Amino acid sequence: MMEKNKPKEAEIEQKPKLSLSDHKVLVANRGEIAMRIMRACHNLSIPFAAVYTREDAQSGHVDLARSLGGDNCLYRVSSYHDANEIMSVADAAGCTAVHPGYGFFAEDFRFARRVTKRDRSMIFIGPSWKIIRELGDKINTKRLARSLGVPTVPGSDRPIYDEAEAEHIAKSLFAFQEQQGVTHPLVLVKASAGGGGMGIEEVYDPDQFRSVYRRIRNYALRQFKDEGVLIEQRIKDFNHLEVQIVSDRTGSHPVHFGTRNCSIQSTGRQKRIEVAPGFAPDTLDYSFDAARVLTNIVDYSLTMATKVGYDNVGTWEWIVTRSGEPFLMEVNTRIQVENGVSACISHVAGRGCVDLISEQIRLGLGEDLGYTQAEIATEGVGLEYRIIAEDPANNFTPWVGTIETFHWQETPWLTMLTHVPTNRSYEIPTEFDPNLALAIIWGKNLEEAKERGLAFLSSIELKGKNAAGDELKSNIDFLKANTEHLLRF
Amino acid sequence: MPRLLATVKKQLMIDNNVEKRIVALHERLVYLKDIFAGKHADDVNLLEDRLNSFRLRLKEEDVSDPYTDIASVEDLFAYVERKLDSSITPMDKVRIVRHPQRICLRDILENVYDTFTEVGGQDEYSLDPSMLIARAVITRHRGKKTYHQPVMVIGQEKGHGAEFRNGGSVKPWGNAKAMQFMRVAETEGIPIHCYVFTPGSFPIEDYPGAAQQIAKNIYGMAGLRVPVIAIISEGGSGGAEAISLADRRLMLSHGYYSVISPEGAAAIEGHLKSGMRATPELIEHCADHLHITAADNLNFGYIDRIIQEPALGARPWHFDFFRTLRQEVIRATDEVIIQTRILPVFKTLARNRHTRPNADLESLYIHWGLSAAAKKRLVAKRQKKFLGLSKQAACDHRPWHTKVIENLSDCISKPWISFKYDFYRKHQRKIQTFMEEIDNEWETFKHKALSPWRKFRHDIEKKNNKQGEELTALSAWTKDLRRKKWNYLSPRYKIDQTLTCPNSADYGCLDLWGPDLFGEFAGVCSYCGYHFPMEPEWYVRNVFDRDSVMEFNSEIEAGNPLDFPDFAQRIAKAQERNGTRSGCMTFEARISNIKIIVAMLMGTFRGGSVGAAEGYKFVEAAERATKKRYPFLAYVHGTAGMRIQEGTHALIQMPRCTVAVRRYIESGGLYMVLYDTNSFAGPVASFLGCSPYQFAVRSSNLGFAGPGVIKETTGIDIPPRYHRSTEALSRGHIQGIWDRRQIRANLKQALRTIGGRNLYYR
Amino acid sequence: MLNISELLDTIKAQPFREIEITTPHTGVLTFASVALGDKVNGPQGQWKEKRGTLLATLERERNPKPICALEKGEICALHTELEGQFVQANTPVATIRHMLTREEVEHIILKKTLYLFRAPERAKYYFTPEVDKKIHAQDQHSVKVRDGMELFIMSRMKREVHLPYTGPQGLIYTVYFKYNENIDAGAPLIGVCTQEQLPAIEEVIMRIKTEWTGR
Repeated sequence: MMEKNKPKEAEIEQKPKLSLSDHKVLVANRGEIAMRIMRACHNLSIPFAAVYTREDAQSGHVDLARSLGGDNCLYRVSSYHDANEIMSVADAAGCTAVHPGYGFFAEDFRFARRVTKRDRSMIFIGPSWKIIRELGDKINTKRLARSLGVPTVPGSDRPIYDEAEAEHIAKSLFAFQEQQGVTHPLVLVKASAGGGGMGIEEVYDPDQFRSVYRRIRNYALRQFKDEGVLIEQRIKDFNHLEVQIVSDRTGSHPVHFGTRNCSIQSTGRQKRIEVAPGFAPDTLDYSFDAARVLTNIVDYSLTMATKVGYDNVGTWEWIVTRSGEPFLMEVNTRIQVENGVSACISHVAGRGCVDLISEQIRLGLGEDLGYTQAEIATEGVGLEYRIIAEDPANNFTPWVGTIETFHWQETPWLTMLTHVPTNRSYEIPTEFDPNLALAIIWGKNLEEAKERGLAFLSSIELKGKNAAGDELKSNIDFLKANTEHLLRF
Repeated sequence: MPRLLATVKKQLMIDNNVEKRIVALHERLVYLKDIFAGKHADDVNLLEDRLNSFRLRLKEEDVSDPYTDIASVEDLFAYVERKLDSSITPMDKVRIVRHPQRICLRDILENVYDTFTEVGGQDEYSLDPSMLIARAVITRHRGKKTYHQPVMVIGQEKGHGAEFRNGGSVKPWGNAKAMQFMRVAETEGIPIHCYVFTPGSFPIEDYPGAAQQIAKNIYGMAGLRVPVIAIISEGGSGGAEAISLADRRLMLSHGYYSVISPEGAAAIEGHLKSGMRATPELIEHCADHLHITAADNLNFGYIDRIIQEPALGARPWHFDFFRTLRQEVIRATDEVIIQTRILPVFKTLARNRHTRPNADLESLYIHWGLSAAAKKRLVAKRQKKFLGLSKQAACDHRPWHTKVIENLSDCISKPWISFKYDFYRKHQRKIQTFMEEIDNEWETFKHKALSPWRKFRHDIEKKNNKQGEELTALSAWTKDLRRKKWNYLSPRYKIDQTLTCPNSADYGCLDLWGPDLFGEFAGVCSYCGYHFPMEPEWYVRNVFDRDSVMEFNSEIEAGNPLDFPDFAQRIAKAQERNGTRSGCMTFEARISNIKIIVAMLMGTFRGGSVGAAEGYKFVEAAERATKKRYPFLAYVHGTAGMRIQEGTHALIQMPRCTVAVRRYIESGGLYMVLYDTNSFAGPVASFLGCSPYQFAVRSSNLGFAGPGVIKETTGIDIPPRYHRSTEALSRGHIQGIWDRRQIRANLKQALRTIGGRNLYYR
Repeated sequence: MLNISELLDTIKAQPFREIEITTPHTGVLTFASVALGDKVNGPQGQWKEKRGTLLATLERERNPKPICALEKGEICALHTELEGQFVQANTPVATIRHMLTREEVEHIILKKTLYLFRAPERAKYYFTPEVDKKIHAQDQHSVKVRDGMELFIMSRMKREVHLPYTGPQGLIYTVYFKYNENIDAGAPLIGVCTQEQLPAIEEVIMRIKTEWTGR
């Protein structure tokens, strides 16, 4: 919409390039990710400002901001969700860039656009807003993938408005799955304008299709004023993999930091354990050529990133079926929670260890990448546990209350990321994701990583009580039980 | 003894009689004081002194002949009244018609008609005591024959200030009652006499709603198939229009007929906030410049004749006046009847008889019934009369050749269009049905004949299984409608600024960033859906097909027909700011190739007020739609009412435009109205409110009078959101509420479902 | 049974409430022409449609927003040192000493009379859409509640769960929570008046009417 404002962009280009320490970054997030961003800024010698809300005053990120940036770098805002607060604080603090972290505004192209297009423009540390918009649209992403020969889930790649056409696609999808030897073929009907699980239904019986189609179409018309419907194959048995892409602002030579496997999830499809790399063909047996699948998805992801001129960090999400077929699911145009597992197994020649968040900030502020894919090497296996106060037995219901004790055994192979203070009790705020801590563990191979993981989990002491006096519930046992299955199909 | 008694009795009688006359004189004095509000103090004091001294002398029994003396006082009163009558100002007239001593409708019923029966309720036992309805009879004699001529008398009753009459301010249901009895008169074929005694309608929205009911009345009267005579004493704005669309409009010489009360005009002119009072000077100034007197309106052509009142206005004891009024009312009714006759000889003869100054109408009898054909002529004549009014008050800058060409093309296109729609379309249906049947037969035959070949082809297709590829390869998608871009963005999208949604307290809406709100969001709050007002251009460019908008009559300009002080500059400023010559833009456009005529009232041009130019353009647009057989949409971006600075030139647009709309609808047209932002007063109470299909854009307000005016005129505090479109929908005033972003789709849908075969529903 | 007189005496001992007015969000603060000790008004009009006395203006992103007095009273603290400054969210702007009105006293005492349905957890609470609509269209007294009725939506940890009402059948008399506000566990959400309670509540109101005078 504002493409016409070209002169402004040109002005920015002409400005003399600032060195990193001339910038000031607004950390527009909370909790663990805010802390990682602050540390990264600190390591890069970039000053920062941080925000918090009244409910979140006890969060560890507030302590860290004070110790790294002093009292003046902290601003109390009404809500992390209010973009106006972010802009207002950024101006007051004299920030030149905004880091959205993950969640909140990380994938909001309007926010990114506002950051760059406002009168006092700043840098949005993330891909450019047009890329966020382009890849944030699932239909658009799917069509882009198909245009480049990147495999996507079989089915329509545009909204279907015609009933006859819809029936034809559904019929083909059932036939196609039978041909592929799928025993219980399923077809998914969803509102093309929808999202977040609204207006989606599965069809297992071709005769049932028409009524489901009409129901979804009518729902879409009512809810989204658009009766377009997508019809896809519903894939059930798969592993969830992802490819970490990193690129500088030129967008011309993106590199990757390998793959991750995020198949251990809660019932609500929330990730609980992530492993890098995505498969272990050397130690485990797969019914398909796992090494080739990894290479393929990395290549596909890079092809797309190059095509769109991707200009910051991002993650290509894939599903891999039991027969080893990969399908692109979506692109996350942001830093992800689990970026640390990829970083912990990677190093760049001449630079040593990698911190992807530092890389994101450095590249986002306009520095050149400075190395090529050939200079990136990986070693060992990384695990990440998400430690959460929840009840896995009861549909992963979050547990709310006060944490009294939180201890674990420190080791050289462990990185613990948490905003939960360990020197005082901490009441879990109720309005955010219930993550308490991320534990990143390195091992020279999968076996060692798993051993160390279990040892770490056993060392945790996590206690608390809620208003009713009940004991804290956590997912530690769930994490232990699932460590065994890692990377197995 | 008896003699003494007789003297005392006589004395008492004298006293009683004189006393009565003194009281009457006292009332005249009070009246005089009231209507001049402190002016002409010398004359008033003179009369007061004379009256008081006479009283004093009477008390001290210092009067030899009280009859002579009082007669001389009365003469003095009459002299002074006559003298003052010549210097009467418009504002004095306003005070005259508002005075409790002013004649009322009941006085007229008793003195002008021979008998009457009230049918609209009695006194306070009435649906609305301010609307009086009676069946009355006028008896005429010709020779030995007696004729009883029934009429329906309808009018506002002020009841000499009786509180329950509400000052003649009629509630919506009172106007509905009036309409009901007009229909009765129509059924019975008797003339209607409407007496306008109203400062304006009671501006409440309760069903049927002040605005919507007035609109229904005007629409109804535009097609009433009986003679209608209106007599205006106090013609206050919309309330007057509710019963005054008549074949003949008479006006009492001391009445006023105005678009707004002088006080209301003064409040607007003085930019007063509610609760503040305008100065008497400003009010007087407004009354002068609004041109509200009978002479003014006769001059403009909005009334047909003035009925002369006695000095300083008619009061119930002016029996001569009632006789004049009776003559005038009969004459007007007769004339209307006569003009519907075709035979020129009888017409002229009858007219000549009537126009003779000394004609005694009592002894001339004309039958007041009409044949079916005459009724048609009557209605056509009434409609033509109103359509022809007020053209001179707009500045028509169309070059003369445009007009000539238009007229010429009319001559050619009219027969063609009438052939196309009236003849061809009628028979086309039959032809089509026939062709469809043949086609069906052919398909069945083909199906049978080709079935072996199809089977063969089907088998081949099965072998070449391309399903996989079809499901995973990129499909063709030409119409990429996914990321809808607006053709036009509000210029406000360039301003880096946030805005607060008015609903934020209720729905927790965060501040919206202007560039998002006025660009991509089309002015809609992304949290609660509140619609911020957008520019008229937004609609013109985003609702209709790209480049399909073709404006016409842009040269008809808003002017300053009353030479209202400083108003010409204000109009010029509005013209410059808006880039248009008037507040109404009329254009032809297409929606998905459906042709449509649109009249748009722009809230950005002097609040979207409607004056002579706007009304002119609206009428022209309706006529164009009739001619071309296109659907007609009134898109009301906003309207504050009739343009008060144009006085009755603006007010007359209410009946005028409604007549145009009625003619369009009756010729089979589809007329839709879409309200946006704020739509109030006159236009809603006439040519907009009469549409059978009225929709509103979300977050818009519509109604008769705004909260300030309601508080001012009725003293009632109205709740917030009283005029919200949702409320209007609940009250049954509109048919639906549309999201701005869906206007195009909804219009298309409405045209397809409401409009018939050629979107012109007959 | 409640000792109303005793309660009234405690309230009478301190018949006011201090209301701290804070900034709703960040921005630059400009004070209106008010001074310490000034009398201010809360929202007025039949529908509270006229806002209270303007205390200050908070401008953020070129959008000046009025900060108004929420109740009638006297300004007993005014942080004019913040004039022209950029302030954080929830920064105190002024404090208003508000003398309790009869309605408020009623409210305080009724809170002890009504059946209070309390928040089971710290969370944000909303009425279910149907109930919300009814309250918006009419008022809370129009909503009849009974045991097990789907009444609330409890929102916390990004999850929304339905919370049925438990307690005696009756009408919602008072609503104690606000939109988008976190409610602590145990804080009352609504006050319910049962049929049997009606006479008792009417009595409370009568007593307050007679005993709470001249304020």
